Amino acid sequence: MAYVATRGGERAIEQAERLYRADIGAIGRERVEAVRDGLPYLVDRLMGEASLYEPDLAALALAQSGGDLYEALLLLRAYRTTQPRLAVAEPVRQADLFTVRRISAAFKDIPGGQILGPTLDYSHRLLQVGVLNGEEYRPAPVEPAAEPAPATQPSLAEWQKAQDLIPDHPAESVEPDEIPDITREPLLFPVSRAHKLQSLARADTGGTLALGYATMRGYGAVHPTVNELRLAEAPVRMRHPCGTVFSAGRVRVSQTEVVSKSGGSLQLGFSATFGWNEVKTIAAATLDLASGQPDPHPASNEEFILYHTEAVESSGFCVHFKLPHYVTFQSHLDALRRVKADRQQAAAIAAEEESRHETNEAVP
Amino acid sequence: MKLSELTRPWSAFSYGFLDESAKREIRRRILKAIAVPGYQVPYASREVPIARGWGTGGLQVTLTLLKPDAVVKVIDQGADDSVNASSIRKFVSRVGGTVETGDTTQATLIQSRHRIPEEKLREDQILVLQVPNPEPLRPVQPDMSVAREMHADADYGQLWLILYEQLVRSGRIMQGASYPSMVNGRHVMTPSPIPRWDVPKLNRADHLTILSAGREKRIYAVPPYTSVEPLVFDDVPYRVEDHQDKACWRSGVRGFFMNELPQEDGSSLYELSDSHFGIKHIRKAAGEAVSIGETWYRNGRMAR
Repeated sequence: MAYVATRGGERAIEQAERLYRADIGAIGRERVEAVRDGLPYLVDRLMGEASLYEPDLAALALAQSGGDLYEALLLLRAYRTTQPRLAVAEPVRQADLFTVRRISAAFKDIPGGQILGPTLDYSHRLLQVGVLNGEEYRPAPVEPAAEPAPATQPSLAEWQKAQDLIPDHPAESVEPDEIPDITREPLLFPVSRAHKLQSLARADTGGTLALGYATMRGYGAVHPTVNELRLAEAPVRMRHPCGTVFSAGRVRVSQTEVVSKSGGSLQLGFSATFGWNEVKTIAAATLDLASGQPDPHPASNEEFILYHTEAVESSGFCVHFKLPHYVTFQSHLDALRRVKADRQQAAAIAAEEESRHETNEAVP
Repeated sequence: MKLSELTRPWSAFSYGFLDESAKREIRRRILKAIAVPGYQVPYASREVPIARGWGTGGLQVTLTLLKPDAVVKVIDQGADDSVNASSIRKFVSRVGGTVETGDTTQATLIQSRHRIPEEKLREDQILVLQVPNPEPLRPVQPDMSVAREMHADADYGQLWLILYEQLVRSGRIMQGASYPSMVNGRHVMTPSPIPRWDVPKLNRADHLTILSAGREKRIYAVPPYTSVEPLVFDDVPYRVEDHQDKACWRSGVRGFFMNELPQEDGSSLYELSDSHFGIKHIRKAAGEAVSIGETWYRNGRMAR
């Protein structure tokens, strides 16, 4: 009874997975470290989208998925969601950030200065093909400045608020446990400010760029200027049960403020994420700004942006179309055939009537 | 006293994979969904180790309802051996230590994608349907916040309008699967992409049905003995697929929902969509002692 031997599916899926893993090969600590140390910007991007700051785990996920970013992301998110939330860190203000790069396109110079920091912005994008021929590519050493830049920088927006250029929105005080957490609550609309910024922080970099770019190009009314962009290390400070605040380490963060003229003042769009990922925060800050406008263009509508840049959901749904859908298809086929049969029947009746009509005319 | 005596032994993940706070949330949402039949309850919908769109909503409900003595059946398009159903079943037994079954009558918990088994479910069984899109209003209103208001107002006129337009254009109602249905006379739901054949099985059923959309983060339910009425016009009756006369080429059984298998000569063969139901018939015909449960359909018609 061939029909009864139906467990073939289980063997097939197991072997298919082995085939995939065989191509990637054995994974050891060494490979994970090579990914972590050699591809820090990829690790950063992934940690941001995963809402999980752990370079070792992110590198492991990349190694385990062979670099398939959406697979790696799902691995991290599925791991993260099982972890308990032990404590809530103290809020970080701009002036607390150990800033390594900070630029503003809005002014030639700003209080605290423009700090280029690490960037490829002005590099010539030439492949070092010599490496493939055995020459080692050794970047030229950095020459330290005569005077080191200060570790922390004031906030430009604070200066603008003091000048009455940007309306001030005083921070709401919320108990730590009451802070909305998108990883434990559904996204509902109209969305809260916290959920919006959290969703953008973990949004797909590519998706955020696509929608952000659409808005910048003209599907939206805002014309963003980068007010301040920062790459920094943020101190993670915890409050001990006995009341003292202590540092639990640092995380790499990027953040962007964009401004646009609106009525008599400037309006700010903001985005921040784990890891150093400039293109994402610029795009996300633009989307934040555009979606906050009254009656935004459909491409920068809050619900549209936040649902469609959720990488685990969008990638999962996209690939789910590979699953069999033959029951649904059968159901549609049935309706189509019925209509076809109706039409054939109607045509047959019409033909019959016509021939009867002709016969009647032929016999006067 | 030692710390190890006070804590539970370490394990890589909780029983049923989800941590207790996630399970508690889902239990509360399920209770609300049962209390307001057909109403879509938002929930956090945690990530699980399978991809979104592959049954994560159903899986979260199954994992929450899991207990060590559960007997679990997982089907996809009616088949137990479908690759994704196999994968989900394997995961559930890996994290829950449950008994697996293909037999509908033996299962306490059935997770299904796009089908309801042909054998009648009992009061002590729970059916969990995977839902890709929980919103019946999506074709007329893609904006979820507006759709929510429409549900609140029971503003469903546009759904009838779609059906009416189909009648005018094609002379027939063209809705295939996911037939919009009124639950308990109040909320219109999509019964998930089950064929029209299966929708009447939900009406005043003995069992509890929980529908869960993981990606869209919504849970809704049809409690036992609750009315589920497909949207129709008084003069255009609801019609299920024309499968009542089709015979399964493997088992010879007639009068149930079939898979169509196109043949090279241009014809089609049919086989029972409910694969284990077919297996039981084949085994019974071969003389094995197999008990086949009471079915919803008899002689190709819904029995009431």
